[in-house]
Order: sequence, then C-alpha cells, then structure tokens
Amino acid sequence: MEGVRTIAVVDDEPHIRETVAFALRREGYAVDEHPDGLAAWNAFSSTKGLPDLVVLDILMPGMDGLELCRRLRALSQALPIVFVTSKDEELDRVLGLELGADDYLCKPFSVRELVARVRVLLRRLALLESAPARAEGDGSDEDEEKVLRRGALVLDLQRYSAQWNGAPVPLTVTEFLLLKALAGHPGHVKTRRQLMEEGYAEDAYVSERTIDSHIKRLRRKFLDLNPGFDAIQTVHGLGYRYREASDKDDEGA
Amino acid sequence: MRIFTGIRPRLLAFNLLLVFLPLFGFLYLDVMEHRLLRAQERSMVQQARLLAAALSTVPSTEADADDAARLIASLQGRLDARLRVVDSQGNLLADSSRMASPPATPDDTPASDEYSPGRKPTREKLLYRVGAWFYRLYARMFEPPTPAFESAEFYGAARRLDGPEIQAALDGKYGSATRVSASGQRSVTLYSAVPFRRDGEIAGAVLVSQSTFRILQDIYAERLGLFKVVLLSIAVAALLSFVVAATIARPLRRLRDEAKAILDHRGRLTGGFQGSRRADQIGDLARALQELTRRLEGRIRTLESFAADVSHELRNPLTSIRTAAEMAAEVDDPAERRRFRDIVQRDIARVERLLAGVRDIASIDARLDQEAKENVPLDRLLAEIVDSFNVREHGRVRFRLEGRVTATVRGATDRVSQIVENLLDNAAGFSPDGGEVVVRLERLDSTAVIRVADRGPGIPAQHMERVFERFFTYRPGEGASSADGHSGLGLSIAAAIAEGYGGRITAANREGGGAVFEVRLPEI
Repeated sequence: MEGVRTIAVVDDEPHIRETVAFALRREGYAVDEHPDGLAAWNAFSSTKGLPDLVVLDILMPGMDGLELCRRLRALSQALPIVFVTSKDEELDRVLGLELGADDYLCKPFSVRELVARVRVLLRRLALLESAPARAEGDGSDEDEEKVLRRGALVLDLQRYSAQWNGAPVPLTVTEFLLLKALAGHPGHVKTRRQLMEEGYAEDAYVSERTIDSHIKRLRRKFLDLNPGFDAIQTVHGLGYRYREASDKDDEGA
Repeated sequence: MRIFTGIRPRLLAFNLLLVFLPLFGFLYLDVMEHRLLRAQERSMVQQARLLAAALSTVPSTEADADDAARLIASLQGRLDARLRVVDSQGNLLADSSRMASPPATPDDTPASDEYSPGRKPTREKLLYRVGAWFYRLYARMFEPPTPAFESAEFYGAARRLDGPEIQAALDGKYGSATRVSASGQRSVTLYSAVPFRRDGEIAGAVLVSQSTFRILQDIYAERLGLFKVVLLSIAVAALLSFVVAATIARPLRRLRDEAKAILDHRGRLTGGFQGSRRADQIGDLARALQELTRRLEGRIRTLESFAADVSHELRNPLTSIRTAAEMAAEVDDPAERRRFRDIVQRDIARVERLLAGVRDIASIDARLDQEAKENVPLDRLLAEIVDSFNVREHGRVRFRLEGRVTATVRGATDRVSQIVENLLDNAAGFSPDGGEVVVRLERLDSTAVIRVADRGPGIPAQHMERVFERFFTYRPGEGASSADGHSGLGLSIAAAIAEGYGGRITAANREGGGAVFEVRLPEI
C-alpha cells in the first residue's frame, strides 16, 4: 500500500461531490471531482491515468454513469467502482454481471458508510495486489480465525473475498457482508432488518426490500458456479438463513 | 333480462313487425270478401228481377211452367246462378238445374269448367293449410262465432218450395237466405227470391241461388299469395337480423369484451382497445375508445413517472443534506462547519422549492379552472416584471422591454405573471454576468406574443425537445447547477399554464447565440 490512493468522485450534484470529496480527503485519500461522465473520462484518458477507485453517480447529463462504467471495465476489470444512485430501478443493471460494480449505495446515503465501503474495497485491492504469492497458502495459523469455512464455501474475512469449491465468487462488499452474516450462524434465521444492519452498518435508510434483491443476486452468482446451490434458504415471513451443515451439505468438488 | 334488452332480439322484433304488415292484408281480405258477396247478391237480385219482369209480361197463367222453362232455357249458359220459378203457392214451375241441356249446375258446386281437372283447389295446397292453421287459431281466439246456417240441401228435390225467402217474396217483398254449401267447404249458397206479378196479383216468385264458392276461391288464392309474401318476409327479416347482428351486435360485443379485459383484477390498466378499421359508427366508437385508453394510459404513465421523478429529485438534495450534516458534526474547524451548514440550509431551501413546484404542477390544471379570470394587460404586466427583475439582479443581468404594442389576455394575473417570471428566471440563470435579456411584446393576428431572448449558451439540439419536460435540467459548465435553485420545473409550469389558457410556449436558439422562448396567448 505504497503512496496515496486516488479516488475519483463523479457526480453532477456539486454539494454532494463537495462533501464526499471532503470526507474522503479527511481519510487521507487524494480525490478528483468530475461533474459528469465525459469530464471524468477525459481526465482518465489524459496523462493522469486511472484512479484507484471510482465513486460514480448513474444519472448525469452528458455521459451517464453506466456508460462510464462500461468504458472503465473495458480498460480494467480490477478497478473498484462504487455506484451511488437515486434510481433503485437501475440497480439490477448496475450490479448484474453486465457492468460488474463492486458496490453501490442508494441516495440518500451516509457519507460515513460510503467512506467505510471505500476503505473495505481499497483494503481488498491492497491484499490482492500485495499477496498473490501467498494467496494459495493453505491457511497458516495466523489466518485461521480470518477465514470462515462452511463446507464448499470459504469466506476470507480480510480480503472480503469468497470461494466456492475453490473457485472465486465475485461478490460486492454488501453481498459479502450479508453472506458472512448468514453463514456465520448456519441454521439461524436472520430477519431483513438484521441483515440490513450487518450489511449497512450506518445506513438505516435502505429499504428492507433491497435485501431481497441482494439475496437474489447472491444466489444467482453461486448458481452460476453450482446449479444445485441451495444453501441460502428463504424463511417466509421472517427472513433468510444459511443451511445447517448437518444436512448432506456440500456434495463436494 | 338480456334476451329482451339485447340489440339482436330487438332488431328481430322490429323486422318481424314488418312481416306482420302482410298479415293485416289477410284481415282486409275479409272485408273484401264481404263486398264481393254483396255484389254477388245484387247481381242475383237483378237476374231475378229480369226473369220476374219477363214472366210478368206473359199473359196466360196456365202456360207458366212452360214459359218459365223457356225463359230459363234461353238464359241458360249466360248466367252463373241457378234459377227457379215457383207459382203463388210455392210449387216449382221451372228449375235451371233440371234442364236437360246444357248440363245442370247444382247451386252448391262451382261450374266445373272454371277448374281444369286434376288441378288441386287452392284450399288443399299444403302451404295454404299451414297458413290457414294460423289463421284459424287467430279466428278462434279473436273472432266472434258465426251463426250456424241451414244446410243448402234445404230444398233438395222438393216440388214445393216454402223457405222463408220464398214466403217473403210471395208476400210481395224481397226475400233472401244463406245456407251452407253441401260439399262441406266454407262456401255458402246465397238465395234471393223476387216476386213477379201478373195483372197486379203476385203470380209467383223467382228464386236465384248461387254458391259463394267462386268468390271464396278467389279469396283463397289471394290469401295464399299473401301467405307466400309473409313467408318470404320472414325469411328476409331473419336474414336481415342475422346481418345486422353480425355487423352491429358482434362488434359491440367485442368492444364490451375488450372493455372488460382492460382492467385486471387489481384495477390496473393492462391494455387498450384495439380500435377498428370499420368505416361506420361502431368503428368510430372503437377508435374513440382506443384513443381514450391510449390517452388514459399516457396519463397514468405520466402520473406514475411523476411520482418516481419527484422521489428521484428529492434524493439528491436529501443526500446533500445528510452528508453535509454528518460532516458538520464531525469537523472541528468552525469555517468548515459553517460551510457544511450552508450546504444544508441551501439544500433544504431547494427541497422546499421543489415541493412548491411539484404542488404547482400537480394541481395547475385544476387550479386554472377554479381561479377567477380577469383581463390582464400584458404591456403593463411585462413592464412591472421587468422592473422588478432589474432590481432583483442588481445589474448582474439587465432586462429590457421592447415593443410599444398593447395586448390584453384573459386569465389570472398571478398565473400570467408566473409564466413570464419563470421565463425570465430561466433566462437570468443562463445569462452570463453583464448579459442582457430582451423581452418583447408583439401582436400577431389575435395572438399576443411574448419573446424572451437571452445571450446564454443556447439549447443544444438534442435537448430542444426536452426543455419543457418536468425536472429536465441542463446546465452546461460548472457555474450554474440545479443546486443553485433550479428545480427543473419552471419551464414546464410555464408551459402548463400557457396551454391551460389555450396558448403555447416554444423554444429556439437565437441568432448570434442564446435562447429565445416564445409565449403565444390568445388575445381577448
């Protein structure tokens, strides 16, 4: 983690941009502000190059966030992108495999929450960058407590990364936190409110229904890897739970 | 009861009514029969009188029988009726049916030469019998019973005739009787008796009798003809009803089915009328309904998207307020804290403006109708607004009023000035410092035209269509932004008011840079 991380904040609302940039600078990051997608794209294309992370609004005049995201993904798959949006309807597109956002926050979001997400994403990035050598390390003692194993599922609590039968599952931070909350207590039912609190420590403004969308996407990502995946169960009227290991559980590699 | 209120049964009933008109013709035939019978009787009486007159001139009494026979024989073949002559005691002197030649015509059988052998009498045709069944049903129910007649066999082969009509004739009066014909048909035989005198004394009577069979035969033929017309009419009526049902009732039923299918069980609009290519009124109705649902759908979509737009538009200032409030709580530097509090204040004001705009635009149509309208002198109003804007902008932007015309429109003064103010607001927002906004009033035919021209950046071609859309904001560059107090509703409110007053607003780019907004309002 050498040098100062650079974060680009792309939003057409000057007040939001101003406050978010201020909060991120307070955390020690270097922040570039851009009023719309085209301005950001021009800046990224210039000598300055890509930032380490992008906070991106979807609805902007000129080039919108979706188009900018598409262009950025064409350049780099690894660049963390956090969407902030006021249109719930757009979320499925944003977080689908098409665009591959790393996380998103619904407006009105808490700036503390945003900063926390940015921190997590940058830490994940740092771990991935710094430790490719020991990534396949077979769980040395010091990592023991940092890894959550549930049959075929392995959650790396430091890197915020998940594996299923050894294959990496690309999860957003929110999805990771929800999965961790569920898998941490197999067989226990978690209500949507509980899941919200685990997934968004500071953001009580998220609708409980967005949890459903998250769970839906979470399942889909695992189903893509394992068509028989059913570890995340719906408990109607209550919430969700992770299937207890006592069942036949993971039917293996 | 669907059966009696549906269009199809009603049309059928109407058509059947037309069918019944020929039936009334049937009934009229009865009247005709009556007249024919009377005419027949008159002609019989005349025949009797002729014969009586001839007999009166014969002097000798003894020769009565011979004379009568001779006279009858000389008439035979020329008269249809049976002639009999009796003396003053009623004794038969002569009888046309007893003459050897030509062959006898009994009074109850028609002259057979009228009917070719083998040809069925009209009454026995199947079609006639079917019709007669209906008629008899009718007659049984509605017609008074007819008195029974004496049989036509009344005289038979008697040598002395003493029926009431003979008695009357021998008393010097006219006598008549009606007796049922022998063959069992509905025809009757008419008897007319006329006295003849000799030397002032009643010397006997002439009895003429004739069956009504021939008249009836004609009537039956007429009836059968009419019945055929009725049957044909029924067929035509049924066909008409069918055609009408196909061309009216069925498309109407289709419309009904479409109407039922338009709302789902939760009352949501799921589709629209399909319209029709028919050129008639039902096609017009279908197209009108199609247009209705299309517009309704558009209206509902507008309302739904309006709610989504409002929620979306509120989220930005709320985000700004929330993040700034968080930061204000965290920073220690008083200057920084004040900066974030300013942001909170400004965005709260922005939310308020937004809500005011939303309230305005949501209720503008209803309000325009409720508000009292007055005559608004545009020239004076424009001068006032331009003055106050010059004061408001402190010379950053100058407003100049052009045009010396006067124009008066009808509307609420506040609303008309809202149009102008929103346009000037917009122009001021886009004008660079030191820029000038030109306001011009013109009259075109019976339309007042207000032009507001600025020297801002103008409207990019791709946004020209959208500038009057709600919440549409396009602010190129960093300087101005929706955060500076533009709700994106000003122009759409102005457009809504202008349209409410029967006018319209258009936008264009100005020669030499800048935008021109043109309001047209109908003059009074």
